[in-house]
Amino acid sequence: MDKVYFIAKKELMTYFKSPVAYITLVLSISVFNIFFFIIIDQNREASLRDVFHVMEFMFLFLVPIMTMRLFSEEKASGTMEFLMTAPVSNMAIVLGKYLGVLAFFSILISLTLIYFGILEFFGSPDRLTLVSGYLGVWLEGAFFIAVGMMTSSWTRNQIVAAMMSYVILFLLYFLINFTKYFNGEAVTIIQYMSTLTHLEHFIVGVITLSDLVYYLSGIFICIVFTRLSIENRMFQ
Amino acid sequence: MIITKNISKHFGSFQALSDVSFEINKGEIVGFLGTNGAGKTTLMRILTSFLPATSGTVLIDGDDVAKHSLITRQKIGYLPETPPLYLNMTVKDYLKFAAEIKGIPAKNRRRQFDSVMAECQLEHMANKTIATLSKGYKQRVGIAQAIIHEPKLLILDEPTSGLDPIQNLQIRNLIKDLKDQRTVIISTHILSEIEHVAQRVLMIKSGEIIIDESLESLMKLHSYDDSSDQRRDMSLEDIFILLHSEKKPNKENEAHSDNIDSRLVKHHG
Repeated sequence: MDKVYFIAKKELMTYFKSPVAYITLVLSISVFNIFFFIIIDQNREASLRDVFHVMEFMFLFLVPIMTMRLFSEEKASGTMEFLMTAPVSNMAIVLGKYLGVLAFFSILISLTLIYFGILEFFGSPDRLTLVSGYLGVWLEGAFFIAVGMMTSSWTRNQIVAAMMSYVILFLLYFLINFTKYFNGEAVTIIQYMSTLTHLEHFIVGVITLSDLVYYLSGIFICIVFTRLSIENRMFQ
Repeated sequence: MIITKNISKHFGSFQALSDVSFEINKGEIVGFLGTNGAGKTTLMRILTSFLPATSGTVLIDGDDVAKHSLITRQKIGYLPETPPLYLNMTVKDYLKFAAEIKGIPAKNRRRQFDSVMAECQLEHMANKTIATLSKGYKQRVGIAQAIIHEPKLLILDEPTSGLDPIQNLQIRNLIKDLKDQRTVIISTHILSEIEHVAQRVLMIKSGEIIIDESLESLMKLHSYDDSSDQRRDMSLEDIFILLHSEKKPNKENEAHSDNIDSRLVKHHG
């Protein structure tokens, strides 16, 4: 367990050692701030509902950039050999890396908590809805990160890794728009697969077991696939 | 210390290693010799459990590397062909991370860190970013990460390739200093290096071991020419070239080469 922590710490440190972390943080927070202002200004509502939607859409593009280097860089630079010949289990490597990015993502999300304060100060928002909305956005990000990590373990090329996670994430996100071309069971399946359906529930303040299972099982499956791919040396 | 039995490795239809067996005892310094692509790196990767063998077993201190890889990895310090360095980290951060994931208890980490920094003469480089270091220093950082957890077995894959003669000498001296404490395997195609540090030579050609001799007896064996019944001075390089020569040797050399082969067979027999 110690080693999971050491690897996560190193991952987080790697972000802050390069300008990538600061650029990502400053850019995304600036965009969120602009949208927060526009949305609140237009809606005149003490709610973050539309802000959460913008965040979700932004993470679709941001997360693959955050995760693309996770394994591909290690493979390309040869440090994978260092990690995999050290007395660390493959699961610890995967979990450490995952938690490292998740920590970075949590920092990003926590910087937007000021919106909560602003709404509290100027209005009387429904606190529970805000909390469940934040939980939903965080879980969705956590799921996207797991997908990004998985595709990064498939290749030694960072761009290819990012592209593959864009394909998977866009499919999951935009799938719901194609329900009209299907009928019967297929529609239910598509609705369940779509990330939009699940986040929507959190945003309106409804936390259901089915939504939690969706995100947690998605994360679990991606982590298992990542482990399998590094175990089978898919990059060799 | 190491027992390998009938190791074979296929990459698709390409056979990288075929039926490799040998034993290495504690405290030995063994040189893996071979041309590029002979299978040295593959063999080292199998020993370190980075790659699984297609068939055969490797035991390190009695533990199978395939079944108990976490235990065997703890005993091995490995420097791959390209030093596995995080270029954006400082030397200090990198070695601290290496100490952490290699399971050195927190109370000993500082001591181990200081000792490898001194051993590899890296003290004044501690706060430098690895990307800015020269090749020789990068190689030393690579060696430092390999020895930081005081492994019983040290595996170095071409530790001096691409270094200038001075750096080469420094690395060689470093390896010499290390050998008192542990079993060392070095792969290289720079033969003078083996002559200086190794006690025993394993020569690999196209995935097979063609020579497994102590350096001394190898030199002795090859320096004696049966045909003229005279001693000939042959360097390890001459022996290497002779054994890897694909051209048909001329009559005189042919006789000599046959001689060596028959002597080797006799010796092994």
